[in-house]
Amino acid sequence: MASVTYNNVVKKFGDLTIIKNLNISVQDKEFLVLVGPSGCGKTTALRLLAGLEEITGGEIVIGDRVVNDVAPKDRDIAMVFQSYALYPHLSVYDNMAFGLKLRKTPKEEIKRRVNEAAEILGITDLLQRKPRQLSGGQRQRVAVGRAIVREPKVFLFDEPLSNLDAKLRVQMRAEISKLHQRLQTTFIYVTHDQTEAMTMASRIAVINKGNLQQLDTPQNLYDLPNNLFVAGFIGSPAMNFFPAKLTKSGDKIVVDTGDFQVRIPDSHSAPYKSMDGRSVIFGIRPENIHDPEFAPQNINGEKVASKVDVTELMGNETLIYLVSGRNTFVGRVDPRSKLRVNDTTQVIFDMDKFHIFDGNTEEAIR
Amino acid sequence: MEISKPSSRKAQWRKISLPYLYLLPAFLIMGIITFYPLIYQIIISFTNFDTKHLLLGLKSPELEFIGLKNYIDIFTAALPVENFNFFRVLEFNFWWALSNVMLHVPAGVLIATLLNTEGLWMKRIYRAVYILPVVVPPLVVATVWTNIFDERYGAMNQLLANISTYFGNTGPIFIRWFEDVKPPIPGFLPGAPLTLAYYAMMIANFWLGWPFMSVVATGALQSIPRDLYEAASIDGATGGQQFWNITVPLLRPAMIPAAVYGFTLSFNLFNFVFFMTGGGPARSTELLVTFAYNLVRNLRWYGVAAAFAVIIFGVAMIVFLITNRITRATQNYSEA
Repeated sequence: MASVTYNNVVKKFGDLTIIKNLNISVQDKEFLVLVGPSGCGKTTALRLLAGLEEITGGEIVIGDRVVNDVAPKDRDIAMVFQSYALYPHLSVYDNMAFGLKLRKTPKEEIKRRVNEAAEILGITDLLQRKPRQLSGGQRQRVAVGRAIVREPKVFLFDEPLSNLDAKLRVQMRAEISKLHQRLQTTFIYVTHDQTEAMTMASRIAVINKGNLQQLDTPQNLYDLPNNLFVAGFIGSPAMNFFPAKLTKSGDKIVVDTGDFQVRIPDSHSAPYKSMDGRSVIFGIRPENIHDPEFAPQNINGEKVASKVDVTELMGNETLIYLVSGRNTFVGRVDPRSKLRVNDTTQVIFDMDKFHIFDGNTEEAIR
Repeated sequence: MEISKPSSRKAQWRKISLPYLYLLPAFLIMGIITFYPLIYQIIISFTNFDTKHLLLGLKSPELEFIGLKNYIDIFTAALPVENFNFFRVLEFNFWWALSNVMLHVPAGVLIATLLNTEGLWMKRIYRAVYILPVVVPPLVVATVWTNIFDERYGAMNQLLANISTYFGNTGPIFIRWFEDVKPPIPGFLPGAPLTLAYYAMMIANFWLGWPFMSVVATGALQSIPRDLYEAASIDGATGGQQFWNITVPLLRPAMIPAAVYGFTLSFNLFNFVFFMTGGGPARSTELLVTFAYNLVRNLRWYGVAAAFAVIIFGVAMIVFLITNRITRATQNYSEA
């Protein structure tokens, strides 16, 4: 159990800078997820912490110890790899016991810990098998088990679920969450899948192009994204964006996309009062776009004329892909919606839940 | 149903016979070049076939069937050949093949591992260089090494003389590598004393043998996922522990077939032994194959040679069955 801190961490491979200046502080017993698109540096950040890559600048602290020059085995961490990295020639038991044997742990102690971990993960009956005789999900459990028996201060997970099929992934997601609650240890988890991040994390660090974009709780990331990247990355389907201008119409602030205009309600307009003529990007999440027939009554709705391009029935909801002039966007509407392809309609934008980003810096304005 | 029955039977017959039809050409060719000589050889191994029977072959009126006499003569060392003892040759032959492999495989693995170090300069050049011995014709290699071990002018004796100056020796050294019959380590291999010529050949064959093992090991090393080393380093394994716990076990599936191949190669290493020592001194480095060749080429005892060849065939068969089992026993760990 320990906190982890990245202080101004820089990582370069030759001339290529992978991580520019990373500052993250992970509290003890926290479940932190590093999320970002492929190649953003999140795995490198994790490997730096594990000691598998050498740090170029800054420092990494585990507990109260700077570990820049500490060998991986002495960092008191355990890592679960994307490929599982099970030793193919050893049985499940020996795979899990390997690290303990190297550390000269007494035999009875090894046995106790391996059996305990196997029980937690439900792989007791697989202990004598070789990795090749296991399914993907079982291998994943063994890889996690190998980390558990070490009783490390910090668990590192490098995209551990990406080799599993969709159903198993959902199941393992819940199990890893449960494991975190049970072990009460710091978890640091890398994924490119924002759903995994949202469902498991106590806090999420969104990383892009080697920079930390935002570090916050899942709910805050979703509701109050700091910038355009975070807004677009978190949430599925992604937030709709419209390049627009802020204009004044009487005492109202209006977002003018060129194809349609929506008024900002007075309760939200304060930050935009002095921004007449400013180029912005207007963002609204699909679930805040409603079919006029089923729109809730008590919202600040704004009508937007549009044409239905595609509809996707999901059962519990319907996704409608809409076109308004040059803009295409998605609405997540009530499944009872009768809108069909090529219908023209006036969808309702819920103007209590919109986002505005600066057109140049792409930072949120609020 | 009734009408389709005969035609389906015909189709079934065609289905059964078709594979054999495809195999027929291969069977014919193998029959002519493999099975005919093999059977012919087995027949003459029971005769006193000699130079005088060459013209008429099996129809020769003087050809006598002498039963198992040739075999008995071979096994009881009753052949009028100096210094011949079948079991000693057999023992030496096995030891020769085994000792070579035991040297080549670890050396090959070790060198491959060292050359696989990340960030090593000119890796490709080393790899190209060490494959060279494999492509040099064996006769050339044997000639070069025979010269190296020359008593008067050979590089080996000069090297030893140079080294020995550091220990106070001043004169030249004349070790008779291929002639000395006294074993340098007495009693090392009971029943088949190893002369200096054996050690000389070991050195020469080492030069020839390890690169192949290194090539195989290099290929196998590339296929070991880096993740495993990373996982092991987090688990607490030092470099040496990673080598023993990951590299060695994961190289095994590749190295055992290579070792088996190396074993059979050394077991029948005719060129090398024949051109370097000629089986001498006093037949101490004779292999089964070189002795069989002697029987035909120099003594022209075709009957005896045939019997000898049948025995070699039997030995090779046993070796094959054993090695085949070893190879199959080490199937890949196939990480799917």
